[in-house]
Amino acid sequence: MEKLQLFFQTAPVDPTQAGHALWLIIALPLLGAFICGVFGKIIGRANTNLVAISSVLGSFLLSLLVFWTINDFHASSPTPFGGVAYAVGADFGTWFHAGTFRVNFGLMADHLSGTMLLVITGVGFLIHVYSAEYMSHDKGYWRFFAYLNLFVAAMLTLVLADSLPLLFVGWEGVGLCSYLLIGFWYDDPQKAFAGRKAFITNRIGDFGFLLASFLLVVMVESLIARPANAPGSHVSPTYTSAVADKGPLAFSVLEETARSLPDLIDEKILTGPLTGMNYGVALTIIMLLFMLGAAGKSAQIPLYVWLPDAMAGPTPVSALIHAATMVTSGIYLFCRVSYLLVLSPTAMIVIALIGASTALVAALIAFTQKGIKKILAYSTVSQLGLMFLGIGVGAFWAAFLHVITHAFFKACLFLGAGSVMHGNGDEEDVTKLGGLRKEMPVTWATFLVSTFAITGVIPLSGFFSKDAILHAAHTQHIAGYHGLQTLAWIMGTLTAACTAFYMFRAYFLAFEGERSKDAKIPHAHESAAAMTGPLVVLAVLAVVALVHGLPIMHMQRGGVTITQTLMENFLDPVFRTTNDLIARKQFLEMPKEHESMLLPWLQAWIIALVSGGAAFFIYRRYLPAKGSLPGFLEPLRKFSFNKFFVDEVYDFVVIKPFTLFSRALHKVVDSILIDGVAVHGTAWLTARTGAVLRYLQTGDAQMYAAVMALAASGGLVWAIFKVLP
Amino acid sequence: MNSIFDSRILNLVIFFPLAVAALVAFLPKDEKGQIRAVTFAGMIGSFLTTLWAWMRFETRSPVEFQLEYRLEWLSDVGISYHVGVDGLSVALVLLTGVLGPMVVLSSWNFVAERVKEFHVALLVLQTAMFGAFTSIDTMLFFMFFEAVLVPMYLLIGVWGSEERQKAAVKFFLYTMVGSVLMLLALFAVYFLSAPSGARSFDYSTMYNGMMGGSRELATYLKANPDGNGVGLTPVAFALFKYGPWLFLAFALAFAIKVPMFPLHTWLPDAHVQAPVAGSIVLAGVMLKLGTYGFWRFAVPFFPVAARQYQNFFAALSVIGIVYGALMCLAQRDIKKLIAYSSVSHLGFCMLGIFAFTAEGATGSAYQMLNHGVSTGALFLLFGMLYERRHARLMSDYGGIARVMPVFAAFFLIVTFSSIAVPGTNGFVGEFLVLLGTFKSNLPLAFGVIASTGVILGAAYMLWMVQKVFFGQVTHQENLALKDMDKRELAAALPFIVLIAVMGLRPQPFLDVLNTSTERYIARAKFAAGDGTSDERLVRVNVRQLPRVAVAQAPAPTPMPEGMVRPARPMMLQQLQPVKPALQPGDAKVLP
Repeated sequence: MEKLQLFFQTAPVDPTQAGHALWLIIALPLLGAFICGVFGKIIGRANTNLVAISSVLGSFLLSLLVFWTINDFHASSPTPFGGVAYAVGADFGTWFHAGTFRVNFGLMADHLSGTMLLVITGVGFLIHVYSAEYMSHDKGYWRFFAYLNLFVAAMLTLVLADSLPLLFVGWEGVGLCSYLLIGFWYDDPQKAFAGRKAFITNRIGDFGFLLASFLLVVMVESLIARPANAPGSHVSPTYTSAVADKGPLAFSVLEETARSLPDLIDEKILTGPLTGMNYGVALTIIMLLFMLGAAGKSAQIPLYVWLPDAMAGPTPVSALIHAATMVTSGIYLFCRVSYLLVLSPTAMIVIALIGASTALVAALIAFTQKGIKKILAYSTVSQLGLMFLGIGVGAFWAAFLHVITHAFFKACLFLGAGSVMHGNGDEEDVTKLGGLRKEMPVTWATFLVSTFAITGVIPLSGFFSKDAILHAAHTQHIAGYHGLQTLAWIMGTLTAACTAFYMFRAYFLAFEGERSKDAKIPHAHESAAAMTGPLVVLAVLAVVALVHGLPIMHMQRGGVTITQTLMENFLDPVFRTTNDLIARKQFLEMPKEHESMLLPWLQAWIIALVSGGAAFFIYRRYLPAKGSLPGFLEPLRKFSFNKFFVDEVYDFVVIKPFTLFSRALHKVVDSILIDGVAVHGTAWLTARTGAVLRYLQTGDAQMYAAVMALAASGGLVWAIFKVLP
Repeated sequence: MNSIFDSRILNLVIFFPLAVAALVAFLPKDEKGQIRAVTFAGMIGSFLTTLWAWMRFETRSPVEFQLEYRLEWLSDVGISYHVGVDGLSVALVLLTGVLGPMVVLSSWNFVAERVKEFHVALLVLQTAMFGAFTSIDTMLFFMFFEAVLVPMYLLIGVWGSEERQKAAVKFFLYTMVGSVLMLLALFAVYFLSAPSGARSFDYSTMYNGMMGGSRELATYLKANPDGNGVGLTPVAFALFKYGPWLFLAFALAFAIKVPMFPLHTWLPDAHVQAPVAGSIVLAGVMLKLGTYGFWRFAVPFFPVAARQYQNFFAALSVIGIVYGALMCLAQRDIKKLIAYSSVSHLGFCMLGIFAFTAEGATGSAYQMLNHGVSTGALFLLFGMLYERRHARLMSDYGGIARVMPVFAAFFLIVTFSSIAVPGTNGFVGEFLVLLGTFKSNLPLAFGVIASTGVILGAAYMLWMVQKVFFGQVTHQENLALKDMDKRELAAALPFIVLIAVMGLRPQPFLDVLNTSTERYIARAKFAAGDGTSDERLVRVNVRQLPRVAVAQAPAPTPMPEGMVRPARPMMLQQLQPVKPALQPGDAKVLP
């Protein structure tokens, strides 16, 4: 056993070499995208599939190698402040620099991004395999695989980047691919519109991201320029040179920034555009702007509206982009800059509340949706909300664990939904399915496992991650916001109950009971092995991932033995600074001792059982017998079914006024004021003046003489007055 | 390594297209293919000359104007033929050179009448633009600046669409108004910047002559913000009194050219009516004459006035960004939409120029190049569509991606560049401009509002893309549209390559631009009087005319006021009636 452990903790390749090879992980799918996009039509369907799948597989193998390497204690990514342990990285030179600003092409894989690498390439590989079958009848296969490969490359850039601007390349890149893939079937204006809606909503978030980055630069420069006699801590010369070498937005620089901030939270900024503001306030604003960015990408209130519409894309896309990877970038971002977040309790509670309310609202909407993908989409929004609740209360590892487990079971659910649609003539409406258990056994089994996982039934992976978040929301207290946090915790727990209800509703309607009379085709058929294979693998992963949530790691810290879950322990090197800052600033009160986990486990059981039971009762017993819900519930159902009319409100409050405003502006300012009054007015005035002055040039010599005489006498009079004293 | 050619490269760059134009003028006018081929080859040759200039430009050199060439010409009135490039101008020259061949390709079939005249006009236009970007003598600049108008007026007025006459006249008058004021201001600077006898229209003389005055005025204003200027030296007093007006005269001329809000209404009309080639050159290069003018003349000549009006012009730029974007959302005509998007993009350039930070200025310069590439490409691509359908409204299209997939892919990539997706060229420029704005002394709100351009840009461009390319094909005649042919691919592919290269490897370009940025910032800021400018970068050093240098070297003694060295007796008499520069004390002495 010892030997085995040692084997896995010894880097198979030289860590420095691994760092320098990181670009290959991105380059492979990028090359795949290029080949599929440019030559896909020429080389044919089978070759396109081969290129697309093997490029992601190659990336996956490289990622495995990297992941193995970063388990080695000797692996260290070089930074100006010494190395980052358990990481590999390399700097590939300047991207751009001007003035004092610089961005480098720097890549780094630590335990956080290493895990993401495996999820992206691993789940990505499975979904590529699945897609090869799913898209086997589509003429645009080459376009599809080009976009999908491009997406993988962008997502990998996002997680490998070692600075915010480079992360932003991936951040916008995934948004771009999402736009292309949602609108993949662009013949349908609805679908093209959904893509556009996704991109523009994302762009609103990106606006926040950009502002936050700019303010961070300004803050970093104010730290450097801080006079030596000003109160609070001062940055070292190393810091100044690191900012010059790596740029102010490199993560290593930001981490060092966070280290110097605790003493400055209540100090005023003395130089630059933020002069007069407290560092703490500035940091809160920056974090909230990042939250706006994350809300766009990870579909949180108020920007979640694009994700349900994004289901217009092919189902594998929904599984990969809108469930497993892209939508979790917001959580990844906050894990990356967690050291800054823990210095701002206000930002933390806002994030927790946004997360909790998104989770609850989305779950309530999911209650009544009919499209199986729509239900899963709202479920994704809801689960992402839970993750943000975790981020908000400082349980970064728990939120990240939920990212991983969610990637497995939600990808499995989406692919299952795709399999269901594939086998039922593209029928999406769960009320028009039914009885699929016998007709699609593999899809059924994997769907059921994943449903159990997302509901949080012990001992599946979803339980551990979700429970870790709720537990942290209950026991870790953000300083000064106890009341609000309790509210967030209650909302989170309610969400857990709702999740069980709507998931089992979908399950019972689609898989149990008799086949619906409105079904498109009389008998469903099970999908091919290329589709069911990934389903099985993902279902197995959804179960196996539970190991990460087991409290099996014991370690010594300050003379006390503490027990950590596998994931918490694994991510410890990533969150070291964060934990130091928490301990130092006490903005987050950690529980003194770990209480017994039995009570929460029991709670989870009860919640899952009661809500699942309720779903069983309503959809298997009550509705088949009575045919409809009691009347008093009908308005509520309608309200939920229409998604709380949020789209309509946005349309009425934002979009319509905006379009009207620009039309009015065009008519009034451009056409009338500038062109009409100013430009044509000038022309008119010139013409009129000319017309009037024309009468002065009559050619009448006597007239001219008279004017001359008059002017001369006038001059004479003036001269006389001037000369007289 | 200096080679003997270095000082001649720019002459080659400027006059090569003119020589080709002369050649084309002698070709038989019915040999349309021949005319096109010769012009195309000429444009390629011209591009190679600009590339040569670009390669010979040394970023590490301490010399500001490189590849300098100076020849005596009209020295009686202080004009010389003086050309040279700094980082910004060599980049703009290269941009002009790159666009040249593509412009010819774009109109291969589109222009079928008066083919010869059309191509001559294109080549002459090229010469005029090269000249404007490389002139160090302000009068020479002015001549080229005005010379650009004539071929462009003809391009719009002769080969344009239905209402071409109206648009061409509007374009011509709009720009002329500004030019006249600028000419007057140039004369004023001429008299102000040097005592009689030493006067010259050369950039260095004008700038260096006023530099001391600007510095003095800035120090003075810092000490007495509400002072009335008593006690200033004559130049400083003149700058105090008339500097803002002169600055505004320059600014007006260039703001019309850019165009800045609210002087932009000529642009949509001109673009809509112009032929494809006209649109590409207009958007790609000509608008940059405006931003270049601000950068080279308006701001360095009057740094104090520029500071005073910084908020005003930055505000107009921000309004331009948002307003241009909102206008796009109200358009139905695709060309108009692209034109208004230019207003928005050029707003970013202007904001960067008036942020007075290194990031902002470099970003602005880069954005000038980006806009040339992206918007040039948009007009080029739309031109292909227009050539097929002769329709400009979005409602005339729909579902084009189905019938022209390759074309759609190209258009989409250019769209992403235009909305500054990271990885494309647009991002680097926009990011730097916004960052520079945030770091500047402008109010934070400016940066925030300007950043909304990021959202609005995506909104209008993708809206247009959806209307044109997605959905079902709604018009029967669109079903038969042919996808891009080889010639069109050849014209569009370089743009795609540029978009990627400039997005992923921007640093070689930025290194060249940085050499200019440093000086621009130093010159804009030295007048702030806070001592942050690098003094070595403030002064303009150029090559002197050899003959003058020899004649003046032994006798540096100051001349008595009002006298001119009697080297040229003829000129002495002509110059005498001109009054010496205004002196503040003069008025009191007179009876």
